[in-house]
Amino acid sequence: MGSVPIFFDTLAQAYTRETAMSNQKRRDILKVGAIGAAAAGLGFPSIIRAQPKEIVILGLWDQTGAFADVGPLNDRGMRMALEERGMKVLGKPIKYITRDGATQAGTSTRRAEEAIDGEGARFMIGPWSSGVALAVSEVAKRKKVVHLFSGGTEDISGSRCHRYSFQWAASPYTAAKTVVDNFMKANPKAKRWHLLVADYAFGWSVEKYIKEVGKAHGIEFVGADRHPLGEREFSNYVQKAAANRPDAVAMINFGGDAVAGAREIFNFGLTPKVPLIMSWSSGVEELIQLSPEIRENMWVGTNFYYTADTPVAKAFVKSYQAKFKTPPGYAPSAAYSMTRMLLAAFDKAKSDDVQAVIKALEGLEVNDLLGKMRVDGATHQTLRPYFFLRCKPKKAMKHDLDLADIVATGDTPLPKQYAACKDIGGF
Amino acid sequence: MLYALMGLGLSLITGILNIPNFAHGALFAVGAYLLVSAVGILGNFWLGLIVAPLGVALLGLLIEWAGVRRLYAAGHDYQLLFTFGLALILNELIIVIWGPVGISHLPPALLRGGVDLGFTFYPKYRLFVMVMAGLLVVATWLFLEKTRYGAIMRAGIENKEMVSLLGIDIHKLFTVAFALGAYLAGIAGALTAPIRGLSPGMGVDMLGIAFVVVALGGLGNLLGAIAAGLLIGVAQAVVAAYWTEASTAVIFAVMAAVLLVRPQGLFGIR
Repeated sequence: MGSVPIFFDTLAQAYTRETAMSNQKRRDILKVGAIGAAAAGLGFPSIIRAQPKEIVILGLWDQTGAFADVGPLNDRGMRMALEERGMKVLGKPIKYITRDGATQAGTSTRRAEEAIDGEGARFMIGPWSSGVALAVSEVAKRKKVVHLFSGGTEDISGSRCHRYSFQWAASPYTAAKTVVDNFMKANPKAKRWHLLVADYAFGWSVEKYIKEVGKAHGIEFVGADRHPLGEREFSNYVQKAAANRPDAVAMINFGGDAVAGAREIFNFGLTPKVPLIMSWSSGVEELIQLSPEIRENMWVGTNFYYTADTPVAKAFVKSYQAKFKTPPGYAPSAAYSMTRMLLAAFDKAKSDDVQAVIKALEGLEVNDLLGKMRVDGATHQTLRPYFFLRCKPKKAMKHDLDLADIVATGDTPLPKQYAACKDIGGF
Repeated sequence: MLYALMGLGLSLITGILNIPNFAHGALFAVGAYLLVSAVGILGNFWLGLIVAPLGVALLGLLIEWAGVRRLYAAGHDYQLLFTFGLALILNELIIVIWGPVGISHLPPALLRGGVDLGFTFYPKYRLFVMVMAGLLVVATWLFLEKTRYGAIMRAGIENKEMVSLLGIDIHKLFTVAFALGAYLAGIAGALTAPIRGLSPGMGVDMLGIAFVVVALGGLGNLLGAIAAGLLIGVAQAVVAAYWTEASTAVIFAVMAAVLLVRPQGLFGIR
């Protein structure tokens, strides 16, 4: 009987992967697969296929694995940005191709390389997972292609920075500073904090800066517990948090983890009495999964919120909602904005040469989705506003999607003494 | 206690029908989703809690009658494929009917918030679930121990040929056992909905734990399933208090440790 539980386990894993895919996604994969098969089947020498007439841009979006639910959203945003321009830039047609990275480093790097060698892609955006993106970033460096990414690791524009990769999401420092400063402004007496941290690179870096920024406010961190990615049983963590009797609970996690954590914190009777901070939320995508009662006295830091008051955001939200009914969260918006940044760099460079586009991206200044955005040439970090929201209680909500108000934005860049990117290097 | 409930239901099915029920987690999820719909229609949590698991039992009845029954003679491979495929179908059905986005469902107003136990907070609803699950386990236990039909079921686990030779309709027994197992999974799901919320994949974690409970308690041993469910729950809570990060791993550590010493499980004979 000894081998049976192991067998069950393997099956259960296969089952998890399988169930994460919806029909829509399967169809997309079939489509992508068909394109790949067609390309391979034709067997033209790569010189003919990589004709410089069209510009090939790769969206590396997960259709399977842990972020299977996010990939299709990324794809929507990127496609919308390209379609706005009629799939053309510099008078040349854009060929948009996508690959499923399966939320795994091995698969993502292999498929990215295949798209670069086989399809002639010289520009790529994605993937969603920061751990996987670090591996993909190495491919970009080796293959000399432009790579844009948005996510919670500080290493892309930090210790592992290089000339080809760019980071769209706010620096974890910017996020921590925005969240802590503005929360303390509204709740000056909440000095005892308990932290719940996702146990991987992203959680650690945000935790580090929240503690750092907290010092200036005299915050005492009465507890900090780390939970694995994909945790669904938060009662043990919350029980510990409740026993500490904190003035505020701050979560540094993302997606399903954040939703499960917020729910449990409410069930234990902490919220709405004790304020809950989500420091790095996907915004509307997470909040919509919670009931209004759970959201009461919740404070949320996010890279994008759909009520952002910029002309580009308003137009984007309007056409996104017309197409897909729900407003866009962080995932489609990041893909949308990154694509627009890349297109802006083409315009600025007046060329689709990789080095020219990189030089154009470095120091690029746009007034776009989030307002004023600038790419730091020295680190390839996008300097941009980070949003801080206060969720609305049920009676203040005007409609089902009226979830929160943007109470502040912050764009304090990472101070020099923390900067790990000493030299961005050459081509 | 919830673990015991899940394990007990699965143990009934595994023990009496002798099939590995991979759809048990999906039945758990269906129970949770039915609760939300039932509460939405009936407007009352308590009525929903009665109706939803009965719906799952009905589904169990249907599954046994239409599918599982035809596979008793076919061997474990086919049974496994059938229940596994069924789990995928149920999962996709949940997505089709209720959508892929997670849902939160609040406990009834009476049971919201926490109680201050002096040394710690504890949510009222969780206390209710503990009591409720405990009562259900005891009720199932009494049914199996003290009633005539329960005795027949236990006899069915021991020796199927003998039971059918005694003139008892063994097929009816199988159907009832499967429905009862499904009911227990369904009510565990319904009780869990306000705690963990709902998402289409919610059954997967629970399936793993249910199999751990069954293996730990000894295949087909009902008392073992209850004891193993309690043991795992207590181990998880104790470890969580001192070393939170290890609270999930401990489930499997306990199983590994017990199976190394007693490969047949705590109370197992097979």
